[in-house]
This record gives sequence, structure tokens and C-alpha cells, in this order.
Amino acid sequence: MRSLRVKRHGSHALFEVGGTRRADAPGDVVDDVGVAVNGRAARGAIEVDGLTWRPYGRRAPVLRDLSLSVAPGERVLLVGPSGSGKSTLLRALAGLLETADAGERAGTVTIDGAAPGARPGAVGLVLQEPGAGVVSATIGRDVAFGLENIGMPRAAMPARVASALASVGLDLPLDTPTAALSGGQTQRLALAGALALTPSVLLLDEPAAMLDAENAAGVRAAVDEVVGTLGITLVVVEHVLGPWVEMVDRLVVLDDQGIIVADGPVGETLDQERDALLSMGIWVPGAPAPAPLAVPTGVFVPAAAGDPFPGHASGMPWSAPTGSGVLTVTPVLHAEPLTIVRRTHTVDGIDTSRVAAALPEPLEVRAGELVALVGASGSGKSTVLHTLAGFLRPASGTVRLAGTAEESSTSQPGDPRTQATNRWIVNTGGDPRTQATNRWIVNTGGGPRTQATNRWVVNTGGDPRTQVTNRAIVNTGVDPATLDARELAARLAWIPQWASSTVVTGRVLDEVMLTSRALGRHDPNLDTRARHLLDALGLGHLTDADPRHLSGGEQRRLAVAAAILHGPAVVLADEPTVGQDRHTWAAIVGLLAAYRAEGGAIVTATHDAHIVERAARVHRLDPQPRAQTPRTGRPWLAGRAPLALLAGAALAVPVGIMAPGGWTSAALLGVQFGLAVAGLVSRAAGVGRPLRALATRLLPGLLGALSVAWSTWLLGGHRIDLAVNGFLRVLLIVVPSAVLLPFIDTDRLGDALAQRLRLPDRPVVAVAAAMHRMQAFGELWAELGRARRVRGVGPSWRRPASVARHVMALTVGLLLRSLRAAADLAVAMDARGFASAATSRRSWLYAARWGVGDTLLVLLAGMPLAAVLVVGRLGLG
Amino acid sequence: MTASLSTTTARPGSIRASAPLMAWRTVDILTIAFLGAAFGIAYWGWGLAYEAPAAPLKALFPPLAGITGAPWLIAGVVGGLVVRRPGAALMCEVVAALVSMIPGTQWGFTTLISGVLQGLGAEVGFLLLGYGSFGLAAAMLAGALSAPLEAVYEWLVYWTDWAWGYKIAYLFILTGAGAVIAGGLGWVITRALAAAGALNAFPPGQEARESRAV
Repeated sequence: MRSLRVKRHGSHALFEVGGTRRADAPGDVVDDVGVAVNGRAARGAIEVDGLTWRPYGRRAPVLRDLSLSVAPGERVLLVGPSGSGKSTLLRALAGLLETADAGERAGTVTIDGAAPGARPGAVGLVLQEPGAGVVSATIGRDVAFGLENIGMPRAAMPARVASALASVGLDLPLDTPTAALSGGQTQRLALAGALALTPSVLLLDEPAAMLDAENAAGVRAAVDEVVGTLGITLVVVEHVLGPWVEMVDRLVVLDDQGIIVADGPVGETLDQERDALLSMGIWVPGAPAPAPLAVPTGVFVPAAAGDPFPGHASGMPWSAPTGSGVLTVTPVLHAEPLTIVRRTHTVDGIDTSRVAAALPEPLEVRAGELVALVGASGSGKSTVLHTLAGFLRPASGTVRLAGTAEESSTSQPGDPRTQATNRWIVNTGGDPRTQATNRWIVNTGGGPRTQATNRWVVNTGGDPRTQVTNRAIVNTGVDPATLDARELAARLAWIPQWASSTVVTGRVLDEVMLTSRALGRHDPNLDTRARHLLDALGLGHLTDADPRHLSGGEQRRLAVAAAILHGPAVVLADEPTVGQDRHTWAAIVGLLAAYRAEGGAIVTATHDAHIVERAARVHRLDPQPRAQTPRTGRPWLAGRAPLALLAGAALAVPVGIMAPGGWTSAALLGVQFGLAVAGLVSRAAGVGRPLRALATRLLPGLLGALSVAWSTWLLGGHRIDLAVNGFLRVLLIVVPSAVLLPFIDTDRLGDALAQRLRLPDRPVVAVAAAMHRMQAFGELWAELGRARRVRGVGPSWRRPASVARHVMALTVGLLLRSLRAAADLAVAMDARGFASAATSRRSWLYAARWGVGDTLLVLLAGMPLAAVLVVGRLGLG
Repeated sequence: MTASLSTTTARPGSIRASAPLMAWRTVDILTIAFLGAAFGIAYWGWGLAYEAPAAPLKALFPPLAGITGAPWLIAGVVGGLVVRRPGAALMCEVVAALVSMIPGTQWGFTTLISGVLQGLGAEVGFLLLGYGSFGLAAAMLAGALSAPLEAVYEWLVYWTDWAWGYKIAYLFILTGAGAVIAGGLGWVITRALAAAGALNAFPPGQEARESRAV
């Protein structure tokens, strides 16, 4: 398969690859670099000469006088500690250093003697984060993006798109939504997008770091296949070397100064540099996992708070005990089998709901235990964690967190009704004095069914008021969704996959102590404990730094430390070790182990086999089938051209302004309603649901119209007729918008704006790319809010200042993430020739279609305007 | 904070976008599109929430609704402050309006018209300063100028039958709130983004680095 390879020289290269041992035979010396491949002229020679790059704002250069030659068809694995400039070097090889950063550059980079950008797409680049380079909402459009940039004729595109998708094994319809792909499929899509432009060099920036083993293997197989078949020069950055070593010829090692410290045939170099690589934190094949970092004892508040009855054997959790004096050990978190349903409500009246995730069996975790959730990406592990934290309400099943010790450790002999904190006793049946199985619910206030802190007192026989054996008290637990921010933070911590999302303060030390302070815990040792913890994690010198300026690995360690310093009973950790080097891995595993040793409980979603083997129990989640969007029976409006929908909405504005008011306006509004219903009715949904959907859509407009009417009455001389006219005017303007605008397809809108309205190509493409991430931005907003809430800093409606702070923090957080997404996408798009579209007109995979129906829509929507003009001319108003 | 604030506002000129001014880089275009989309989400959310503070203000004196209207002017200011190229403010505000319009607002298509008018106003503010000044004063000017066209348009569509005195009051209140809320807050947000290291490819990022350097 591979027609061009530099064989390795080392005769002692011996290492494990994918479970098999391989050794290279001595004397295997071949150097056929530069030979033509399959009759094609060899291309893809990389020459780097004296490259230095110092981004503005950094004292030291990231790359320092770096020189490197890569022969055509050579396969290079580029490694180095985090922060050594590997990704920067890849961007330099693609000619994209200054695309999303500014700095001082010296030296040259050439590909086959020319600047890297000389031929658009000559250097293909795949980024680490799946989806960072996705441009379009469907996979066909996404692969065609580069071809459009170089102005390829429309007729030639489909074949190239199809062959690029086939070469990476993505055998899916071209209109498959990019959002429906798994992480591994998304990375293969990025590969296909690069391959469509027939690159001579392929650069991969940790393409499998965020993927589970199966998806990662799929990506590597696709790379191996296309690079071998096409003879492309390959440079891969990775810090998990194992699976790549077999595929590459050469290993280049950068040190933390951005200097090449080793370079040679992969087997030999790996042998020689093994210790250096290990000390850089690189995952060297065959090396055992690093020893978890030792965290000093006494750093955490003992998390035993989560175990209300320490020292008792496990009984029947979550049911009232039946025997005399039985006390149950309560799990700190317990979930009955969960089903989480995601509903999508579309304006055409069709509700689609699908099971987003399902936890098939009960889950519980006790003090000191680790429970793992495993399953392929897309199986809903994060969704289940969200539900366990109370962020999402399950469609079926329940989640309970244990109450805290001070609430539940007191057993109460005697009459519960005389106890100081008891307020309510409910007999569950019969006369309590005669029933052997009476259960008394003792409540500390309020209705027992709504209280989070219900305790069950079980009478073991006789009159409970006189029995001293009334001891069995079980805390029925708390639904986390009912807790306020501080109550939740005291019990539970959540470490989201995006560590940087959770940054709240501007200083590392404050960040670690944030939740302890928010909970109002006055611990004189807090500062000392925080500093000890930061020291142990290798962050001791950064206590005064801004957390957002830390590296990814440092932010990850900080996020874990900040989540657990205050000693919550249970921690929910979403992929805590994914993509981390050995150093950060050891720190996180050590941190979680120390926290467990203090009685903390952990539920983690993970692909990491080392973590899974530490788990007391493992729950496997299966991916849920995706709902198919119904293609037939959709309302007439669903297929209309975006410009027709916009025009229909726009035509209503002059109608509202010019309408004479009174019965004429009311009649016009009636016409609009009639048209709206006609356009919304569909075979699938009948008439009733579109009408209900229409009512929902119109509610905001109705409120706006009422508000205008009221202010008109107040400020227009208290005249009812003017107020009614104002009300009708606003409705005339907004009713068509409410009906039409939600049907706009953003990709088709881009086609239309560029091809029909002739707006500049590049802004149109950028806006379409931003718009199809709207959903993701909305989810991000929710996630940022949760990250704050679970750390005890959520807003309280009683304190408007806290709400304002909260909204401001979420806005800035959303902007930060969108800026980073824009910078990543700029790099990915320029790697596919987007910059070259600035000088020449792009072509488009799809024409902006306009049919008879679209003309009809505009004519119908224009009827009220025509009527208004006629009425005005005739002077009937 | 106060020290660096005074040095920034005292400096006569800000760092301009790289020459030529009209040569938008890919990252400029994408940043405006993405900032616009993010503000669009926030605008949409504000559209759901703003009645809570707006209702008591309107009960007090209806033109005070201009205060709760000012947050919708912020995208243009931030877009202009970040990218500093002709058209940045306009495009950012229009994208924000477009994004907030599509899921459905109480104002329908007029949201987009407002976005164009507000963006044009902010753009005029930066144009008057020759795309060379981006301090707090410039931000407040852009924020203030976002308001007049919008206010006049709202007279036409929504406040048609208000007495003239109220219309004029609304114009002035929206303009003042635009200067303070959209201009001031936009400037604060831009500085926060630069301090977080998110604007390294843009002039505000460079200014933030220089203010940190001793």
C-alpha cells in the first residue's frame, strides 16, 4: 500500500505497537526519497530555514532559529512538551502563522520551492478539535469549500467531493448534517476537505487527541490509506506516540524552547530519546502509565460530609428500613435508570423528540468510590452527567444526592412530634399507634413532598411517641435540580470538558478558593491549603497569574483543583484526562485519588482505560438512534427560497406603516392570517398543530403590540382609536415575519446573498459559518451558566447586582469562546484557500434556486401592500 | 485599573488596523461574523428578559424605554473597537440583528432594519474619527450615534402617535443610554477580551500587551 517509505535503520528498535511486538530486521537500509511515485513527479518537499517566531506579548520566541528539511513523501512525527511550539510550527509550514496571531517572524518556509500559500490547498491542515474547521451545515458543502475558493466550475465539483469523501471512508449522503457526525467522522471530514484540493503536504495537529480509541483508529487508518496511496508528505503532531510510530519514518523532537533536539529514523530516535521524551510528558509506546502525583494529606476538607451514617454496613439504600434499628449507608449519589429526551419544536407544528441518552441500570456511588461511564462518543455520557448534576430533568428516572451530615446524622429517639425541628408528621396509613409498619415522615419544615430534607422515621412497632427504638432515620436525599447554587456547590462539583469555561476569577489563587468563599466557610487554613494544593500540582509559581493566560494543561489542573478544594461529597468529571500529556495526566489522577482517599466520591465519563480500571463500577452507555427529520409532508413554506421568505417579511413593513388603521387594517391582518395558515398547513401535521404553533410564534409579537398600544394611549392623548391602530400596525408588520423567518436555511441564505444579491463572497461565507453555529452558541451559554452555578456563584433574583454580574460574565465567556472559534476557523479556512478568494470570484457548489413557488410567495405576500396602495390612492382610508 | 484607564484615555491616538485599512484579513471577517452571532444570541435573550426592567421604567415615563433599548446597540461598538476597519461596526451589528431575528422576536423583520440603522450610526462614529481613535470617548461617540437613526425609525413604526415632546425625549434618552451603556460597556467588554488574551491578532490585543509591559 505504501509505495514510498524511508525504512528505519535501527536494528534494535523494539516496541509495542497495538499489542504486537515488532522488530526491524538489520540492514534494512533504503532511502528512496525523492523518487517519483506512481509515475507522478514527486512533490511535497518542505524546507524551513532559520525560522524564528515571537508572538507579540511574549518575551521568548516560540520557535527559535529552526531549520528542517522534509523530503517528498516522507512521514514525520513531530513531538515535544506542551508549549514547545509544535502547533505553531505546523501553522508556519502551512503559511498561516499570521492568520490569527501577530508577532515577529524571521527565516523562510517553502514547499517545493514556493511560499506555502502559493497554490491554495497545497498544504492541508487538520486541527485538534473536531469541528474547529467545519464551515458548512452539510458534509457535501463542507468538502466543496476549498474547491469553491479556487473557483472550480460547478459541474466538476460533485465528482471531486465524492472521491474525497470515499477516500476517507465517509460513505454518507452529501446532505448529511455536519452536526450529526461523531468526533472521528468529523476529523475524517476535515481530512476529506483537505484532500479535495490535492495537497502535496498534509499536516495533522493531534488529530486523534480528543477521540475514543475506536474513532482514533478510524482516523489513523484513513490517514495511512490516503497518504500511502497519494504519496503525500505527512507531518503529524501527537503526544500519544504509540499508534503513529508504525506509520511514520522519522521522529523530530522539539524542546520547550522551540529548538529541535533530536531528529532521525523513528525507531532509533525513540530508543535514544526515550527518557527525554518521558520527562517531556510524552506518551512513549510501551512505557507504563506515570505514577499519580502525590497530593499532601489535609488539603481537602474531609468529604465524609456526604456519608450521613459512617461506619454502618450497606443495607437497602433509598428504601425505608424494615427491621429494628437498621441504619442504612446512603450512597452520596443515586440514580434510578434514566432516560433523557431532547425535544425539538419546529414552527411548522411538528414536535420531534428523541432519546438523547439512557442510563440502563441504577447508578450509585458511595464515599471514596469511583464510578465510570463509558461508551462511544455520542452515546450521551456528558448528557447523563448533566442529569446527575441536575442541569437536565430526565424524562424518566430520578436522581438523588445525599443530604449533608448535619442534616441527617441525628437519630431521634422518642416522639418525633416533640422534637425541636420537627414540624409535620404524616402517617402513611392507619392509626400509627397500632400499625407495626407505620412510617412517620418527619419534616423539618414545609410540605414533606416538596422538601429536600425529608427524613423518614420508621416505627419499629408500637406507639412511636413512646418507643425509644425509633431510630431508623434515612435521608431520602435531594433532587439536585431543586437546589440553589450554593446548596448544590456544597454537595457536588462538576468538571466540564472545557476547563477554560469554568474560569470565574482573574487570579489563580482566587480561582481555587472561590467556592469555599462563596459557601461562606470561615477556614483560617484555606489560604494555606490552597497554596499547598497548587504547589503539588506544579502551579505554585502561578498563584497570582490570570487563569486564562495558562496553558491548556495548566488550566485543566486548575479546574480540577478548583472544583474540589471545598470538599463536595461527589465530583462529576467529564473526560478529565482526555488529550493530556503524562504530567497533567499524573496530576489529575493523583488529585482525584487524594480526594477519594479523603472520602470523596467520583462519577466520571471517560475513554481512559487507566481510569476505568480504577473504577468500582463501570456503566456502559449505548448511542441512541437519531431521529430522522421528516422530508415529506412538510408545510409549503419549508421549501421556499430564503430571499423569498425575507421579501415576504419585508413587504409587511410598509403595509404596517401605510395602513390607514381601523377596519381596513383589521381586514388586512385577517388576510395575513389566512395566508399564514395556508402556508403552514402540512400533510404531516394537519391544521390544528400549525395553528397552535402559529399562536406560540405570535405571542412575543402580540406582547410587543400591546406594549405599543398602551404607550400610544398614554402619550397620544388617551385616544382608544390611536391605541388600537398602533396595535394593528405592529401586528401587520410582525405577523408575516413570525411565520416566514424561521424557515430560512442558513446555507441556502449564503448561496442567495452571494449569487443573487451579489454581496461580497467572503463575508457571506463567514456569516453563514457563524450562523450554523448558533445552536452551539446557545448550548455554550447554558454550559457557562451551569459552570458558575455549580461553583456556588449563580445569580439570585433577590440581588439584581448578582444577576447583572452573571449576565456580564456569561456574555464575556461566550464572546471569548466565539473569538477562539473564529481564530481556529480562520486558520482552517485559509488552509483551504479562503484568502485567495479575496482576489478572484468564488464558485458555489449549489446554485441559488428560485422556483415558481418562490415567485408565488412574494406575490401573495405583496397582496396586502397592493391593497394598502389602492386604498390610499382611492382615499378610502 | 484606574491608572491604566487614564493612560489609555489620555493617549491621543489608538493603534490602527494594519494597512491597507480596507484589506480585511480572514480572521477579521470571521471575528466580526462570530462576534455578531454571539451578540445575536445575547440580543435574543435580552429580547425575552428586557420587559422585566422595561415595564417599571415605562410605567414611570414611557420614553425611558430607551434605557433598556441601549443594550441592542453594543455589537456595533464592540465590532468597531476590535477590528477597526471600515464596515466592521456595521457588519457586526447587522449580523447580530440577523441572528437574533431568525429564531423569532417580537419585532420580526424590523429587527434587521434596526440592525442596519444602528450599525450605520456606529460606523459613522468611527468614520468621523478617521478610524484612528478607539478609546472610551470614541466608543461613547459610536454608541451615541447608533441611536438617532434607530429612534427616528421607531417613531415611524412604533411611536407614530406619541406627542412630539415624548418622541424627542425618547431620541435623547436612547442616545444618552447608547453612549453610556453601548459605548461604555462595549469599551469595558473589549478591554476584558483583550486582557484575557483573546484579541492578540487585533489592535486592542496589542494595546493590552503594551499596557502590561513595563
